[in-house]
Amino acid sequence: MMESWLAWARGPVFIAAFSFMVLGLPRHVGITVWEVARAVHRAGDKNIPYRKMIAATIGWLIPVGKLWNQVLFSLTSLLFHVAILIVPIFLGGHIALWARGLGVSWPAVSNPAADVLTIVAIVTAVALVVQRIASRSTRALSRFQDYVIPLVVALPFASGFLLMHPSVNPFTYNATFFVHVMSGNLLFVLIPITKLSHIALLPGVQIVSEVAWHWPPDAGSKVAVALGKESEPI
Amino acid sequence: MKKGKYSYFVEKKALETTERPRKFLEAFAAVLEYSNYGLPLEVYARLSTKCSRCASVCPLYEATGEDRDIPCHRSELLLRVYRRYFTAAGIMKARMFGGFTLNDEYLDRMAEEYYRCTACRRCKATCPMGVEHGLITHLSRWLLAEINIIPKALLVSVREQLEGVGNTSAIPVLALKDTCGFLEEEFRDNFNVDVKFPVDVEGAEYVFFPAVSDYLLEPDTLMGNAAVMHVTGGSWTIGTGDYDGINYGLFYSDRMMERIVNNVVAEVRRLKGRKVLVGECGHATRSAWFIPTFCGPDAPEVVNFLQYTYRQMRAGKIPLKGDKIEERVTYHDPCNIARAGRITEEPREILKAICGDFVEMTPNRTENYCCGGGGGLVSIDEIRAFRTGPMGKRKADQLRATGAKYVVAPCANCKKQLREVIEDNGLEGMEVVGLHDLLLKVIDFGAGPAAQGQEKEEK
Repeated sequence: MMESWLAWARGPVFIAAFSFMVLGLPRHVGITVWEVARAVHRAGDKNIPYRKMIAATIGWLIPVGKLWNQVLFSLTSLLFHVAILIVPIFLGGHIALWARGLGVSWPAVSNPAADVLTIVAIVTAVALVVQRIASRSTRALSRFQDYVIPLVVALPFASGFLLMHPSVNPFTYNATFFVHVMSGNLLFVLIPITKLSHIALLPGVQIVSEVAWHWPPDAGSKVAVALGKESEPI
Repeated sequence: MKKGKYSYFVEKKALETTERPRKFLEAFAAVLEYSNYGLPLEVYARLSTKCSRCASVCPLYEATGEDRDIPCHRSELLLRVYRRYFTAAGIMKARMFGGFTLNDEYLDRMAEEYYRCTACRRCKATCPMGVEHGLITHLSRWLLAEINIIPKALLVSVREQLEGVGNTSAIPVLALKDTCGFLEEEFRDNFNVDVKFPVDVEGAEYVFFPAVSDYLLEPDTLMGNAAVMHVTGGSWTIGTGDYDGINYGLFYSDRMMERIVNNVVAEVRRLKGRKVLVGECGHATRSAWFIPTFCGPDAPEVVNFLQYTYRQMRAGKIPLKGDKIEERVTYHDPCNIARAGRITEEPREILKAICGDFVEMTPNRTENYCCGGGGGLVSIDEIRAFRTGPMGKRKADQLRATGAKYVVAPCANCKKQLREVIEDNGLEGMEVVGLHDLLLKVIDFGAGPAAQGQEKEEK
């Protein structure tokens, strides 16, 4: 019984969820690139400091220089990101699946290292939520997804750790495996439709913010006409 | 004086509330259609992670600790409207589950909160998601303006500039000429030198646009400007068609901003001038930097007076007296010229050359604290207690820590605001001046190139 559920999760559900992400993220990127190009095309001042934007983007993709502000929260966040990026992609077991399915492979991290990073991922995910609740300013900003997403991200890591260490796993292997695969699938679906879309959008946001100040020359007059205010006194 | 519905005064028509939400959304739709603001809104609405790093760099939130003063909290006000009415997911969600609806109360909240932000953009540099909260404030104010919610102080100035006398201080041309004549006389009396304020000279390299209020309030700054032009033999003129660099459109409406910028360029073209020379004014400079936006790549080049003076000083064209200014001097970076790192070093180099005791305030340059009067707030007199209290607290602390006698602020708005901050926070003995006010004290009129005939100024 559990086995067929597992096969379902690893088969059709995985393919559907993973495809949703694989189609969803490039869609965001495509639309953003298109809109940036359109905005620059319409802009009166096309002189955009691309170099500066690229430098700022790299600065935020590798944010070690940005830890001074809210040090604990930032450090937690940095560790969290490092762990959740490395483990799923470079885990030996995952690479073996890719090799079997698509015939591609790449170097893996050692299992003990993956264990440490997995624990880091779980601890920092919980810590992010705790800090979010503990700080008044983040609490004031938080929506439902802000509390839930780190915990959803922690699920595949927690279940994955139990899979790798059957001796400490109080649940059956198949049930754990099912939770592992399904929570991963859930994440794939959430990525394009929640704030997790920053996975794809972050590298473009500095340029988006810059281009936003480059306006079409006649935007104001056209808005005036559209609102019937072109001859209205101030 | 009795306060009305908002903390700032508005005109009567702002208080008519018939169908305001519908009108706001119509304006929003038109703006999304014709401007480039749809792009950032779409991206920000998706990826804002609500981390609150911005909270710890906002001088206002640091002072008040109120949730509504967190930059991201404020931006969410507009993003929520955008998501609900302009994204497919938001429209669908509203159909199925109801939820948020834009109403009058919500608009009043926006009206209040977007004028509690000076759009200093300090928070931009700390947002991991690169969200530009200053842009959201800028855009929200435009949208509010389309339903007539505009601080009266800003509205009246723009009306005077575009439909009245032609400038925000309502100075007629005759009075302008009088003032220039008076300043020329001051030069003769105090410095024994014949410095001109050229008016309507065709074909001058630079057409001069200070904050027009300088003619009323900052004679020393203007005399410093003229003195630099005199000793460097610069070719410049004041145009009687438009002599006001102020552009409050930047603070509440792109529509007004476009018209004001176009007037500046028209005046330069009328006089067959080549460049726009902006006086000591932050927002006038930033507005002028939008000239290529409205007038294309062939538009006249924009030079801020600090840049001109710095270049001339480096070229050795500004003769100085032997004595430096002895009193301690510090420098306030106006957000509009410093935040993006465009003008930070030039004024410091000049000050170091003319001051014996120059100290920095911390943080500075691109990380400076706003004076508290940015985004047009300084012109709204009825909110002075807010500006110099919570909004100006950080700045007051910074100023106090320097122990300076002179605070140099090359911006008409910063100058007014800092004077009030100093007064209201008991910082005695501190004086706010322009950079050219100090320069005027140390320029040596004895041996400038002007004395040996006009020298052709290189670019």
